Amino acid sequence: MREFLPEPYPYAMAKALSFNMRLLAHHELQGFGGIGEGMALQQTSGGRRILWLAHEAAPKNFTGVDVTDPRAPRVVVQTDLPHAKMRSNSLDVTGDVMAVAYQTSQVGLKPAGFDLFDVKDPERPKLISHFDASGPYSRGAHQVWFVDGQFVHMSSGAEDFQPRHPEDDQIYRIVDVRNPAKPVDAGRWWMPGTREGDKEPAPARLDPKIATGYRVHNTNVFPERPDRAYIGYIDGGAFILDISDKSHPKALGAWNHSPPFNGFTHTVLPLFGRDLLIVSDECVRDDGVDWPRLVWVVDGRNERNPVPISTFPAPPVEAFIKRGGRFGAHNLHENQPVPTSFRSEQIIVGTFFNAGVRAYDIANPYQPQEIAYYVPEAPKLARSGAIQLNDVYVDEKRIVYTVDRHAGGLYILEMTV
Amino acid sequence: MKRDPLAGRIPIVLITGFLGSGKTTLLGKLLRHPGMDRAAVIINELGDVGIDHQLVSTSSEQMTLLGNGCLCCTVRTDLQETLREMFIKRRAGDVIDFDRVFVETTGLADPVPVLHSFQSDGLLGAQYRLDGVVTVVDAVNGMGQLDSMPEAVKQAAVADRIVLSKTDLASSEVIGKIQSRTKALNPYASLAHAIQGEIDPALLANLSPGTAKALPSELNRWLGEGNAYLGKALRGNHDAAIRTFSLRFEQPFTWDSLNAALQTLTALRGPDLLRVKGIVNVEGEAGPVILQAAQHVVHPPVTLESWRDADRSTRIVFIVRNIEKETVQALFSAVGALTSS
Repeated sequence: MREFLPEPYPYAMAKALSFNMRLLAHHELQGFGGIGEGMALQQTSGGRRILWLAHEAAPKNFTGVDVTDPRAPRVVVQTDLPHAKMRSNSLDVTGDVMAVAYQTSQVGLKPAGFDLFDVKDPERPKLISHFDASGPYSRGAHQVWFVDGQFVHMSSGAEDFQPRHPEDDQIYRIVDVRNPAKPVDAGRWWMPGTREGDKEPAPARLDPKIATGYRVHNTNVFPERPDRAYIGYIDGGAFILDISDKSHPKALGAWNHSPPFNGFTHTVLPLFGRDLLIVSDECVRDDGVDWPRLVWVVDGRNERNPVPISTFPAPPVEAFIKRGGRFGAHNLHENQPVPTSFRSEQIIVGTFFNAGVRAYDIANPYQPQEIAYYVPEAPKLARSGAIQLNDVYVDEKRIVYTVDRHAGGLYILEMTV
Repeated sequence: MKRDPLAGRIPIVLITGFLGSGKTTLLGKLLRHPGMDRAAVIINELGDVGIDHQLVSTSSEQMTLLGNGCLCCTVRTDLQETLREMFIKRRAGDVIDFDRVFVETTGLADPVPVLHSFQSDGLLGAQYRLDGVVTVVDAVNGMGQLDSMPEAVKQAAVADRIVLSKTDLASSEVIGKIQSRTKALNPYASLAHAIQGEIDPALLANLSPGTAKALPSELNRWLGEGNAYLGKALRGNHDAAIRTFSLRFEQPFTWDSLNAALQTLTALRGPDLLRVKGIVNVEGEAGPVILQAAQHVVHPPVTLESWRDADRSTRIVFIVRNIEKETVQALFSAVGALTSS
């Protein structure tokens, strides 16, 4: 038996790879195609759909793209940061209010924290207020979660928080923004032992080759369980917090695959209808140094004892690990509780840097199946020589918006599963 | 939101036909069409020396000789392995993102076990779906082959589409006869003509519903309902052992009654069920249930999103050997009566 396959090519990135995802449009964002991990889709009162993107690095702050026709995206606004030793990286939009994170490259710099903008008129975002999280040990906010119009949940330093280890500077913080003109500190939690003066011992560091620190990454809170926060704590693993009293969050359950795995727990996505948690790692080293970085399915029936039951089938390692840049898991589409968001407890979509964006069917949580992928060709001027898909947002029509970390900008795809 | 049970799986079209019927010529021409530039082809051949592949025009150097012999027997697992390997290469970017697969069987192959293996291989089902069977019948020699070769009869009987080849070399009288013969044998397949392999590629794609949102017209086309009236008018089926008939049930099934009927049928007459395909009205399901079976294996049923027209009856096409229509009808009725009591 013989097979004939049309036109072979090496994995030289000459062409995109696709399975059940079709490219509708690609936008390089006016030459500033490096996007972080902030994506939100606003439905304006005038019926337009604006995709807001936080840039990965200076000089740009955020970009608004009109995606009302996803085949013809159009940049409507692109803003600059006040200086180059900072970045926005993360944002979220509720209604017409947008929260934008600010993280500095060194402690002690400003602005560090987040801004709130009125984006009712997307072409002209108006600053409402700034929440200052700067401090002698703080680099400000790395990530914001803002889906209820009332509270910003974030990974951030604080003026009065002194970590024992400089890499442990970002903790879980809750900020009350019910009066958006005047954000108010509402609560915080950190892993015991990481603060100078804690009575608990400092946690043991992971292997220095892959250690990244004990700090917070994603902070997800959903209306189904407003009394719970699901925290990715980087080298500290996953935490489920009781935040029924926001001023005193309490740890209920924790799960950490490391050691022996390689740390960097990024997102903890609860699937309430199925008592499951989908936990993603983030790859942060090039050329497979920190492989494997995976997506885990965790049985969450007993929130005091989360138990891992499977991992998503990894993209083919041999094909990607030396393809350039990072290769491994990163952001998931987070089932944002907003009208423009795809919400599924069966289909999970995530980005994997040089292995593109991938969708998985977890109908059987013990045996996740890959059902779609799109790996764009290497963007022009890609510094690693490969695509580095960083974040993904899926809308309620199954249109997939995904962004490159360095140069490629925005890719809009139709998922046909 | 859930996954569409049909969309997102790469369609496989099985191309059968007796030796020399023109399968390779057909494929060679087909692959030159612009819409087919992402088609992958698997060719199975008998014997040590393959000549067919030299006729298939392809720029590919990806060619693996996996084995010799007939696709329907031991080589069947090779086909499954080949399909898996092809998908692995696709994911790794070692081959182009093929969007369909044509499997050409040897002329002597019995296509039924191949259908059977598609339906029983769950791993394969994660990425692929059987779109249908195309059988090439030689207008010049076909009549003789159907008279003397039981495999040729079987190939025509299980087809979703029959392509009459070499119609430029046969008289209109001969063409008329073979058309009548194939219609009598398989009234549910649509007929197309190919001269020197030239055929509209659309005729070899979308043979079965490719999404849970399938329209009634697509379902009807799959079941061949538009073709069947002609078949009923025909007489003189020479191929008495193989029968093709369609049953219609107005009363919805329950899952229990459908399971019981299918289990009884496959247990007692599995080897003689060449192919079963249909849409079933099952109580409690939002849309029609797609049913496919070959021999004793029933493919996991797939429920479509909704009924999109007024006709909600169950319609099942049976291609069988030595089983009377009345027998199957009686079985379904009896099981229905027993399970409803």
